[in-house]
Amino acid sequence: MKLFKIAAAAATGLAMLAGTAQADDKPVVGLIMKSLANEFFQNMLVGAQAHEEKRGDYELIAVGMQNETDFESQINAVENFITQGVDAIVVAPADSRAMVRPLKKAMEAGIVVVNFDVALDAEAKKQQKIELAFVGPDNRGGAKLAGDALGKKLGEGAKVVIIEGNPGADNANERRLGFEASVAEYKLDLLDSRTAHWETEEANTVFSNMLTAHPDIQGVMAANDSMAIGVVKALESAGRDDIVVVGFDNIPAVGPMIQDGRMHATVDQFGTDMAANSIDLALEVVGGADQLKGWVKTPIKLVTAN
Amino acid sequence: MAAASHSAAPAPEQSAAFLSVEGLKKHFGGVRALDGVSFSLEKGEIHALVGENGAGKSTLIKILSGVFPFDAGRILLAGESYQPANPHEAKEIGVQVVHQEFNLLDHLSIAENISIEKMPRTRFGLLDKQEMNRRAREALDAIGLTDIDVKAPVSSLGIAHRQLVEISRALQFKSRILILDEPTATLTERETKRLFDIVASIKADGVTVVFVSHHLEEVFAICDRVTVFRNGKTIATDQIVDTTPEGVVQKMVGRDLAASSRNEEAPRSPGNIALRVESLCTAANPKDRGVSFDLRYGEIVGIAGLVGSGRTEILRGLFGVDPIRSGQIFQDTRDVRFSGPRDAIAAGIGFVTEDRKDEGLILDMPIAANISLANMQAISRSGLLQFSAENRRSRERGSKLKLKYGKLSDPVASLSGGNQQKVVLAKWLARNPKVLLLDEPTRGVDVGAKAEIYTILKELARQGVALLVVSSEMPELITLADRILVLAEHEIQGELQRPEFSEENILKLAYGQTAMAGEQNQ
Amino acid sequence: MTTQTMTEPVQKTSRFSVRSVLQNAGIGLALLALILFFSVFTEHFLTPNNITNILTQITINLVLAVGMTFVILIGGIDLSVGSVMAFAAVVAGKAITLPGFGPAEAIALAIVAATLTGVACGMFNGVVSAYWSLPSFIITLGMLNIARGAALHVSDAQTIYSFPYAFEEFGSAMVYGIPVVFLVALFLVFVAWFVLNFTVFGRLLYGIGNNEEAVRLAGHSVFWYKVAAFTICGLTAGIAAIVYMARLNISSPIAGIGFELNAIAAVIIGGTSLAGGRGSVIGTLLGAFIIGVLANGLILIGLSDFMRQMITGIVIIIAVVLDYYRAKYAAK
Repeated sequence: MKLFKIAAAAATGLAMLAGTAQADDKPVVGLIMKSLANEFFQNMLVGAQAHEEKRGDYELIAVGMQNETDFESQINAVENFITQGVDAIVVAPADSRAMVRPLKKAMEAGIVVVNFDVALDAEAKKQQKIELAFVGPDNRGGAKLAGDALGKKLGEGAKVVIIEGNPGADNANERRLGFEASVAEYKLDLLDSRTAHWETEEANTVFSNMLTAHPDIQGVMAANDSMAIGVVKALESAGRDDIVVVGFDNIPAVGPMIQDGRMHATVDQFGTDMAANSIDLALEVVGGADQLKGWVKTPIKLVTAN
Repeated sequence: MAAASHSAAPAPEQSAAFLSVEGLKKHFGGVRALDGVSFSLEKGEIHALVGENGAGKSTLIKILSGVFPFDAGRILLAGESYQPANPHEAKEIGVQVVHQEFNLLDHLSIAENISIEKMPRTRFGLLDKQEMNRRAREALDAIGLTDIDVKAPVSSLGIAHRQLVEISRALQFKSRILILDEPTATLTERETKRLFDIVASIKADGVTVVFVSHHLEEVFAICDRVTVFRNGKTIATDQIVDTTPEGVVQKMVGRDLAASSRNEEAPRSPGNIALRVESLCTAANPKDRGVSFDLRYGEIVGIAGLVGSGRTEILRGLFGVDPIRSGQIFQDTRDVRFSGPRDAIAAGIGFVTEDRKDEGLILDMPIAANISLANMQAISRSGLLQFSAENRRSRERGSKLKLKYGKLSDPVASLSGGNQQKVVLAKWLARNPKVLLLDEPTRGVDVGAKAEIYTILKELARQGVALLVVSSEMPELITLADRILVLAEHEIQGELQRPEFSEENILKLAYGQTAMAGEQNQ
Repeated sequence: MTTQTMTEPVQKTSRFSVRSVLQNAGIGLALLALILFFSVFTEHFLTPNNITNILTQITINLVLAVGMTFVILIGGIDLSVGSVMAFAAVVAGKAITLPGFGPAEAIALAIVAATLTGVACGMFNGVVSAYWSLPSFIITLGMLNIARGAALHVSDAQTIYSFPYAFEEFGSAMVYGIPVVFLVALFLVFVAWFVLNFTVFGRLLYGIGNNEEAVRLAGHSVFWYKVAAFTICGLTAGIAAIVYMARLNISSPIAGIGFELNAIAAVIIGGTSLAGGRGSVIGTLLGAFIIGVLANGLILIGLSDFMRQMITGIVIIIAVVLDYYRAKYAAK
């Protein structure tokens, strides 16, 4: 990670030089986000805007979506950016396959494309014959961090359940796979695994019912913190304080819960900085650096009471 | 004991029964809709079915056209058992029905409506519009509607023409039996005459026509035989030449109808002017002159005219339903302007609308609830319903109007047409109105109830209520009214006093010089 | 020969007849069958804890469905309740976390904020659709977006948290194992039942659903009655927001997505006609129970999420088809 930070800092310096050289002609970066109704992306957007203000040497155009599955508006946004002639497109794809073709068009138009948050599908990239690096956290690795924390705490053979995100969403899949990897490694007993569509109230309902069916649950892995909150409330209503809960995202609302032990751990993937870091990388390439390659992993961190 | 004079008199050509119905029974839950129906049709005759509403005619028609199965009895068509499983099958066999309610799709063209049951297709399976329009043209020409564009949407037609389109749709198929269910209910006299010409030519082609009507004069004008229904049973079948309208009515009601004559009653003496209307033009009235007339307390003023001459619009304007473009209304010499029905009702006006199903009644709701609909204050205290008060008042109203019902909590839809109309009247009488506007007060009402409604209205006038009655039935106006205003083209063509009353005089004014234009817009 | 009063056969039902009793009994029987099924095939279904869970879980849907019943009875529909609930929750969440108030004042403020927000949105729906006689389907679809956007805007898409402890207490309080929030919903059902059956207002709502023109020509202000029905629906969305907050102790701007469809399903399964004019809030109560019992029981039985979704859909369709036949036979 250090290397990454140094690279970013260097890029910043370079770009600032470039900025002074052509004050009137700042590079334009198009940022395509997922649903801004999701506070994770909302925070990321705020981070990107602060970043634009701080650097002052580029112009940011940010676009969000109506909801998680509205990838058509992302495709439209790419096409609009091509027409506007932006210098770089930084994109968090809503669908790992649907976005490949429009992004190829952008690359052919000479636009620097940086893919962050969710990786484009390798198979689809191969089909379209493009090379495109991915900048982002390892959702699977992050989930495994949380799952491992749970496994360590409960020990071998502990009975656990998973609360999944939207079925079909890439990050939901990755996180589930990460949790399942922990289950395998710590030889946990996975009793049930269900979706609550990222949502607190549904997680509350679904988990209450799981708890009725399996009163001997010892641990819960929730694919995001909103759902973890619903789980914690269900435990409070059921009067159970012996069940260990881990989440993902580290949203502010779970801070107190981690502190007082109602939640054991969550994972921070520094979402606020993720878009800004990707923009830095994109500007670096615009400024003449080499194309990015492979997977540029962004930092993730396990958050616990200590 | 009812006279069961099943006359087997010889029919015009053949005497063998073409269709025979024997001992037909049909139950709906505990209600016996048909309780032993027997009659026969002969080939090429026009056979009338008459009876009060609820006597079983509609149920019989629905059985014949395959809508309902029957419980007991049998039907033979040309010697074979006839038991259609659905309307489609009945049509295939050649039994066509023109229903009382319209079955047309408003937004489709006339041609599309006529071909809706069997759309012509091209070789490629696409809709063959040319053929469709050709068929429609043929069907309309056959009944003399040569001036109507088959591509026009049905919604552009008036109610009478829609009925004719419906008839032409039924006629385009080769039918063996054509059933006309109250075909003249919405037609003016002239259109009725045209329909009769068509029926006569159908008969000449050897088709058997079943004619259901409340209008005995029509029955006597075109039918060969008549079968009378009462309480789900057939009472008698007679040759028209052997019977009289009075005789048929007697069989229908099972008693002597107190002759509702206009001559016996004491003349009414109208009081002060209740409403004065000056140059009233509603938004629907294209002319600028408007209508002007007076309505006095204790008198019944009739409004005659063809369908579409602007009769209903006057009532709707007076009641504040339709906006008024120009002109003035004075009530008790005060200049009034009602911004909605609420104002009109507060000023003591009631409005019995033309269409009780769409505007007058809430069919699925109880009788009592319908009676109190316009008078909720009387049956509630600070917004809470007082059910005992409601039931008491409804019972009183009902017995005054000789309303026949099972329970006050039954839905109004369970009543016959005449009793439904009495509920509408009861709703307005509950407010003790000073002025009562009535639009076609006896449409679809059987003979017995009709006479009772006339008695009620006359009694109201005697009590000093001012009544304004719109009707397409000239005998009705002649029976009821003290004066008749005749309307054409949204203008009053003339006013008739009692001595001048006659259908001829009314028609002369109604058609008048604007006859041709009147027909086109109807 | 006897002279009897002949009546034409009727195929429509009325809420005052024996048929309406049959109708509710029919849904009740379906619910009973579900309960029996799950009791036999799962171990924990009929345990006190699970019953408490079910009651908690149906509360929000029941509250929304009570308001929805009013709107559907007049022949309308309200697609915005889920979004309006989220908006009300976020506004109330902002209010309850305002600095400088004691817990009691903060809670009172939140309750007022949530109900006012709901009422305002509902009234908007009603006024716009009734004044211009526009289909409520499309107006409330607009409100669905307005309220969701407003919720996200007001909250900056952040989950609002850390409410007073007393509020949380209320959300999880029990009386003899029955959640207090459910009792609140039950009270709403009772009030709605009373209003619909024993007041002039309720009588006229049924009337408007059956035949708006007849009610208008009888001198009643149809406009205001329609506005009132939508306003009641908005009010229940506000109340649902309070229940949501008390139960989960957060306000999420993405709460309630799709709740409108569950509420509509509860009303329709409960035998209220989508065309208006026919139905009862008791049916709605049973409809909400059917949906809740099904969601709970299918998880206990261990069915996968996807199968569960399919079965829920199938049951909704079966319920409505059965209702069709029940109504048909009741009419005979």
